[in-house]
This record gives sequence, C-alpha cells and structure tokens, in this order.
Amino acid sequence: MKKISRRQFLYGSAAVLSTTIPSQTFWPSAPKPCQSALAEDIRGKVFKGDGPKELWKWSHEGFLYKRLSNQKVVCGICPNRCVLAPGDRSVCRSKVNINGALYSLTYGNPCSVNTDPIEKKPLFHFKPRTKAFSLATTGCNFRCLNCQNYEISQAKPHEVWNYELFPPDAVKEAQRAGADSIAYTYSEPITFFEYMIDTCRLAKEKGIYNVLVSNAYINRKPLLELCKVLDGASLNLKSYSDAIYRKLNGGRLKPVLNTFKTLHEKGIHFEIINLVVPDYVDDDEMVKQMCGWMLENLGPDYPLHFLRFFPRYKLDRLPPTPISTLTRFRKLAMQEGIHYVYIGNVPNHEGMNTYCHNCKKLLIARMGYFIPQYNLNANRCKFCDTAIPGVWNEA
Amino acid sequence: MKSTNERVIIQVVIATGISSVVTQLLTIREFLTQFQGNEIVIALILFNWLILGGIGTLLARIITHRLWKATITRLGWLSLFLSAFSALQILAVRGLRDVVFLHGSSVGFYPTWLYTFFIITPYCLLLGFVLPYSLFVLRNETLDYPGARIYITDNIGDISGGALFSFALVYLVTPLQAIFLAHLPLLVATYLLFLGKRRHRPIVFVGLGLVIAVLVAGIFFEKASLKPSEGKLVYYRETRYGRIAVHQDREQFTLFEDGIPVFSNQNISIAEETIHYPLAQLDDVEHILLVSAEGGVMEELQKYALRSVDYVELDPEVTSVQFRFGMIKEIPGLQVIHQDGRAFLANSKKIYDAIIVNLPEPETFQINRFYTDRFFELAKDHLSKNGVLSFSMQGFQNYLAEPQRQKFSSLYNTVSAYFKYVILLPGQKVFFLCSNRPMNTDIPAALASKGISTGYISGFYYGNLTPERIKRLNQRIDPSTPTNLDNSPYLIRVMFSQWFSKYQTSPLGFIIAIVALIFIYLFRISREEFVLFSTGCMTMGSEILVIFAFQIFFGYIYLQIGIIITVFLAGLLPGAWFGNKLCRQGKQVLALTDGLLVVLLGIFIFALDKGGDRLPVLFFLIFGLVVSLACGFQFPVALHLRGSDNVAATRTFSADLIGAACGTLFTSVVLIPYFGIIWAAIGLIALKLISLMLIGTHKNPILT
Repeated sequence: MKKISRRQFLYGSAAVLSTTIPSQTFWPSAPKPCQSALAEDIRGKVFKGDGPKELWKWSHEGFLYKRLSNQKVVCGICPNRCVLAPGDRSVCRSKVNINGALYSLTYGNPCSVNTDPIEKKPLFHFKPRTKAFSLATTGCNFRCLNCQNYEISQAKPHEVWNYELFPPDAVKEAQRAGADSIAYTYSEPITFFEYMIDTCRLAKEKGIYNVLVSNAYINRKPLLELCKVLDGASLNLKSYSDAIYRKLNGGRLKPVLNTFKTLHEKGIHFEIINLVVPDYVDDDEMVKQMCGWMLENLGPDYPLHFLRFFPRYKLDRLPPTPISTLTRFRKLAMQEGIHYVYIGNVPNHEGMNTYCHNCKKLLIARMGYFIPQYNLNANRCKFCDTAIPGVWNEA
Repeated sequence: MKSTNERVIIQVVIATGISSVVTQLLTIREFLTQFQGNEIVIALILFNWLILGGIGTLLARIITHRLWKATITRLGWLSLFLSAFSALQILAVRGLRDVVFLHGSSVGFYPTWLYTFFIITPYCLLLGFVLPYSLFVLRNETLDYPGARIYITDNIGDISGGALFSFALVYLVTPLQAIFLAHLPLLVATYLLFLGKRRHRPIVFVGLGLVIAVLVAGIFFEKASLKPSEGKLVYYRETRYGRIAVHQDREQFTLFEDGIPVFSNQNISIAEETIHYPLAQLDDVEHILLVSAEGGVMEELQKYALRSVDYVELDPEVTSVQFRFGMIKEIPGLQVIHQDGRAFLANSKKIYDAIIVNLPEPETFQINRFYTDRFFELAKDHLSKNGVLSFSMQGFQNYLAEPQRQKFSSLYNTVSAYFKYVILLPGQKVFFLCSNRPMNTDIPAALASKGISTGYISGFYYGNLTPERIKRLNQRIDPSTPTNLDNSPYLIRVMFSQWFSKYQTSPLGFIIAIVALIFIYLFRISREEFVLFSTGCMTMGSEILVIFAFQIFFGYIYLQIGIIITVFLAGLLPGAWFGNKLCRQGKQVLALTDGLLVVLLGIFIFALDKGGDRLPVLFFLIFGLVVSLACGFQFPVALHLRGSDNVAATRTFSADLIGAACGTLFTSVVLIPYFGIIWAAIGLIALKLISLMLIGTHKNPILT
C-alpha cells in the first residue's frame, strides 16, 4: 500500500478532529447553563460625556458625594460608587456631574404614579388592606435581564414622559388618594434617593408611612439616614449567589446582605423577595443556604416571599417556574426555621395566606389583594395571642 | 461530447446546489428558533448568507489565481468539507448559543448579526468559493468553457434542493436527517470525482468515511442538541411552520414554538383574562371563534352556555400537542379547524358573538395581517350586532413607553374605523375590546352578575386594573398615529423600533456601514455587473413582495407559498438557457429584459391596486416565473458582454448574489414597512430604470 503523504495526513486529521466538535459541545460534563455564557458580568458602566450641559428644573444636588481632583466626583449612595468626570452620567442614569458637582436629575419628576394595594408590593405584614401611593422616576443601579419595568428602570429622565410632583405635592397627592403610605417603587428608588428622602420626611410629618420597594443595593450611610424616616420595605434578594447576581442582575450580593443587616439593626420591618428563576435560582441548596444566613443574621421573623418567574424583558426564553418548585421551597424554608414564607404570582395558592407560627392557625386569608379573613388583634394572633412580626393595624 | 470529468463536475455542481439550498433553509429555521423571528432577523440571516456567498465567489478568483491552482482533487476535498460543515453548522447554531449568550436570554440586533455572520462564515464562504472553482477546474480542460453553463447547472441543483426540502423533507425528517439525506448526492458525486485518482484512494476513503461519520453523528446528536437544561424535552416536531417542542419541568408542561415559551399548563391567569374580558361584555353568548388559543381557555369557555367554539389553528401539530399535554381540553361544541385564520374568516359565512384573537405580536408580515384594516373589517362582518372582537398585545407594568404607545395608538386608530367602541384594558397583556355597543370595564362585577367565578380576576383585577390605570392608558392613545394597513404595515415599523429600544441599540451604524460598502462596491463594478446586481436585487425584492401580497389575499398557505418560491427559482433555468442562445445579441437584449422587468413590476402594481383579492393565484405564479425567466436570461448575456473570462465569471456571479442580498434586506426591512407595498415596487422599478439607463448610455463597443 502506498505511503500517505504529509498533506494527506493533515487532511485526514482535520476530518477526524471535525467529528469531535459536536461531541465536545454536548459533552455530559458540560457546565450548567448558568455557568456557561461568556458574559460573566453585566454590571452597568458610567456613561461618559452623556450628561446634560445645564441643570434643568428637576435637578437637585446629590445627597452624598465626594469631590475628587480634576472636578471629578464620586457618588456615595450605592455600592456602584460611580466616579464621574464633568459631563458624565452615572450607571443608574439619574446622576450627572455638572461643573464638578453631583446632581440628581429626577427630583420631583416621577414618570409613574399609581395607587396600589399594599399587598401588591408585596408587603403582607405591613398595614394590610391599605393603599400605597406609589411613585417612581427613571433609573436603576442594576441591569436585571428580567426587569418588569425596564421601560423606566433602563431609561434616562429626559427619555420618558414625566409628571411634576415635588415632595410637598407628592404628599398631598397621597393624602388625596386616601393612601396610608407612600411606596417608592417600580424602578429603583435608591437612584432617586434625594427625592425619596425629602418626600419621606414630609410624609412622616403628615403621619403617612414610607415604604421602600428596592433591590437593597445601597450604602450604609445613606441607608441609616433613610432609616430615620422609613417604616417598611419590600426588598429583593435576587439569589444567594454572587455569580448569579453579576450575571443576571449586574450587581453584587454582599452589599444587599449588608442592607438587610442594617435594617434589622435599626428595627425596620422588611420582607424579602426571592424571584425563582428556573435554572438559575431554583436550587434547593441555595434556598437552604439563604435561609441559614437569614436565621443567623436576621432571625426567623422576616417574611420571605418566593415569587413565580414569568419570561420577561430579555430573559424571555425560559419557562415559568413550576408551581411545585415554589411549594417545595416554601416547605423547605419553613423547615429550616423561617416563620413566614409566602408564594407569589400564583393565584389562590395556600402559600398566600398567613398562618400563626405558633399555633399554625389561619391568621390572614388572601384572595389576590382581597382579605376575606383577618384573625389578628392588633399585632397578636387571635387564637394564641402570639405576637406576629410586622406593622399592623390598630385593634 | 462531454468528457467524464466534465460530467462528474457538473454532477458535483448540481449536488452542491441541492445540498446548499437545503442547508440554507434549515440554517435559517435554526437561527429563527434561537433568535427573535422578526422580519429584521429573517432578512439579516438571508443577507449574511448571500453576502458571504458573494465574498466567497470573489475570493475564488483571487485565491485560485495567485495561490491555489484549481484541480479536480481539490474540488473533491472542498466538496467533502462543505458536506461536513453543513451538519457542524447546524449543531454549532444550537450548541454555541448558550456558550456565547446567557441561557434563556434573548439578544438584540448586533449580537444576532455577529453570531449569525460568524457561524455561517465557513460554510457560506466555501459554498460561494466552490461554484466558480468548479468552473476554473472545467476551464483547465476546456479553456472557453461557458460560465453561464455552470450558472444554469447550479440553478438546477437549487431548484431541486428547494423542492426537495419544501415538499418532502420538511414533512418527513428532522433537520439533521435532512442534512444527511440532502448531502448523499454530493457525497456520491464527490466519490465519482475521485474515482480517476487512484493515488488518493486510501485518504479519500478516510475522508469520505469521516464526513459520513459527521453527518450520521449529527443525526444522533439531534435530540441531545435540543435538550433543555431545565426539565426534559418530552415532545419535539419540526413542522412546515417551525419547531414545536414541549418541555417538562416537574408537573409543568411548557409549549415552545420556535424557541419561545408560548404557554404552559399552569397559567390560568392569562386564560381568564383572554376569555372573560370579552365575554363579560355579552348578555348572550353562543358562538365563539378563537384564532389560536392560550392554554386553559377551554375551561374558562365552559363557564358559559356555548353552542359552538370554532378554534382555528394554522399548524395541526400545535393543537395535537395542546390536547396531548392537557394545555387545551375538549369541550362540547368545540370544532378545531386547521387553516389560516384570516383565510378561514374570508371563506366562512358564520356569524359569531365573539372573535378572540390569541396571536403573538405583529413582528412578521404573516402575523401583522391579523391586525390590519382589512382583517378588522372581516372580523366585524362576522360578528353579531353586539358582538365583540378581542385581541391583545404585550403589556406593560407601570409605564407606557413611546414605541408601545404608538403600537396601541395605531391599532386603536385602525380598529376604531370599524367599531364604535374600543377599550384597552391593561392586564398582564393589553387587551383590546372592540364592539358596536358600549362596554363595561368592571369585569369582576359583570362576571359576578353572570354567576361566573374566577381565580385571578376576582382577586387581582381591582388592584391591577384600577380605574385610574385604565383611564390613563386610554387617554394616552394618539389619534394622529397612522393606521396599520395591509398594503402599508405601519405596525411592523413600530415593532422594529420597539425591538431596538428594548436592547437600546440603533441600527444606524450598521446601515451607514452597509450603504457605504454598497456604494464603494457599486462604484467599482462594471455596467453589466450593475445590471445583474439590480436584477438580483429586484428578483429577491419581487419575491418578498409577491409572498407578502399573496399572504394578504389568500392567507398563509404553505404549499402555495412553497410553489411561489419554487417558481421564482424555476424560471432561472430556462431563462439562462435562452440567454445562452441569444447572448450574442448583446446590449439590445439586456436592455429589452430590463424593460420587461420594469413593465412587469408596473403590471404588478396596477393589478394589486385594481384587482386586490380578486387576483387569481395563477397571476402570482406567472409573475414570479416571468421575473425569474428574465433574471436567468440576463446572466449569460451579461457574462458574455463582460468577457466571460475567470475574472468576469466570478464578478458576475457575485454581483447577482450581492444584489439579491441587498434586495432581501431593503425590501423587507425598509421598503415595505416604511413605504408600503406599492412604493416598494416603485422603488424596485426605479432601480431597474437606473440599470436601463446605464445600458442605454454605454459607449463601449462590446455592448453594441
């Protein structure tokens, strides 16, 4: 038989190698999808030179920032700590450096204003059956791929249609709407901190509660300031994994956990929201670790909500979370020791109701936002007199 | 008499044509499953394919001339690589998606363009390379071997491949089985090519064996490559219309159509909204028409005393899956009709109390037909006096962004020409309720008065659809937004801007780059090449126009559209044959066919304007055939005028391909959405007039 030349050998080898390509791609030990994408971190970046040249009516000097050399500033509100040169816009799109000073561009110009049931936030242990006057401006310090409000969270203030509602007007509107609380919500209120805290202060004076609905990505100093006027919070713990935070949300886990600790320390009532994204967050081990951390650092009394995921925004090629996964997680979290675990985005699931952690009797039955049964006397179980954590209506 | 080599090379060219068209169609389907199936993405993939083919063709001359002499053996190896690349390409589209992008996420314009471009680059460059390379091999033996003959031969393969896929493979086999079958003729022809080369026999056997191994391995990897990472794949079918898959995750079954989760068996809230918002408006309801359906709707319909429910679904596989996995259940009076919804209504005389449309967003011309003036008129004609038409669009949580406002406004303005009362309800989707009698937005109260109980609406409606939210949405409708017409699909334009705004990208950079490159290209080509460029552009543009118009008038009828596409290929072959015979007539015949194409498009505009839906199917077929005849005719004539050497052959081949790429992109993404069907056709006429002018003003003696 004739000898094979070098060139023929190369041809043959290339062909052999080509057959291995598919088997490599689908090798059984291939990494899980949540570990495999090239995009490891989707955290936002500063928008260089994108800021307006002049202030506008809704500009307000930043609450907390530091001046650096060369007229640069560093924003101190959230862990992104954006360093902005003159003309730059922050990651959240709401703050700009104009002539060496930091300004918020969203002071008094919310783009979304509604009156919602407090249960919609969701807050199940906070003044049930009351209404929350809800407002949001544009901006977010995260980049969540499944954001429900991306039209405003990922927009700049001038790109949307705004209302003019400075803090005194916001409080008046809340009163007119018959709301017991003002909820800073929808997009990311931490990015309109200046507007929020001024409104909170005025609302507090008028006896209106302040509720924060947020990703909890805030620095300790502004948070402590906020705690002085805050009454309740519905906070996202998007996953108990820093890698997933970076990949799906564009943030980090640790600052979020620190926020929970600070609020606990300050005695602010909050409820933790965990959206169960299939293939990323639907992990029993992760739930156990999360509950373990909660018990160790916060105790068993802060309500935990597992929400059903639906395909949204850019994360629209995943199926919804199976209901049994949520049911299992609820059971798991309760077994771990969390007293109040709820299921959201599933109509009429047993996991929407509140049961006394002591006597296990039904305290609050919920049908959507309706409460057909309410078995609390002020903050106590009607059946066994156990104190139920939360901010409740007077008896 | 043909030499053995010539005969075998011709066989290779035909087999390459067959396999390449099948590969092209399957690759497009794969990409549409992995990415958004809107008109931009469809056009982008075709554009990439044709442009890369054109570049491959241009490279053939450069590489062969300077580096790599054309030989039969090398042609054989190239054909083997081409065969292997086809299967690897399909697997790469599937397998690399989650490596490059985040699992479960969708991506915008530039990532889609780059991914599709790089994945198909090896195959398309090689494919474009092989055709002129075959000609160069033939010219080693016969110096003046006519380039037009290769063009004709390639067309035979293309037509056969198109017909094979559209009328046989798509019904019978999975994509990788189709790839395997479509490449068998090429493998046989390649083997025959090597037969005379005894020296290479051992390595040829190894090579052939490996390529067959790759193709067969592809079949075995078919299911594995489709397996979802969450849960398991419990059902999978390729149908004429796309890919149907059902994923099971614990007790939940989710139906995926072309990679998008359409609905699951656990989502009662959307089913409630879909059914009860319109039916709550009616005092007596007996006859319902569902154009497509959400999971769980039948249970909700059963809460009414209905006499008949006609459920129209285009793809029989979809209904089969819905029933099998409990997403839709059989109820008394249910009749399932497998037909295009619009075609069904046009041919039906039945009057309904409610018509409920459950279709996706109007991202394609095909879906857009259900949101236009004529469809709404058709729906109105099939509704009882107080009947309700309902359809829905993707909703919003707390802020109505501008592209969505335009979309809702356009729909509102279009439908309100046929219905006195139109209200929008901002539920999980935005529901449009259209009727000629006043309607009630207090749905829970209306349902309570009928004694109908619900799980979602009764608990969540008053919190989610507050009067202020409903009022604010309806107040933000802009009466000046253009309506969505069959002939001028404004909504497609809005969907484009919505898509770009979702990903916060602008296509401007791409457009500037493409236009600049096209201008540079156009300034560098000869007049004859421009004629072919414009003809390629016009042919693809006309094909898109014809399919678009056909769907408007007759609905989406797979077989007939398949025949139209085949007819657009079928004319090329006899056209090229005639052109080859008459090429010595030169400039006059080229001008004459350019004139013919202008007249043809003129007739097309006139006929559409005057005939509309009275035009017979035959009209579209004859139009397609004559356009492709003229296109095929021009190729050998232009090639003859251009000189027919190797340089001319590659440049004319690529002019045709690049023109076709531009025709595809600009007709579907720019001309039809932004200017409407009539002006799109006029635009193509203008292009051909430039070509005619260039021929007329040419002083080169070779053209006289």
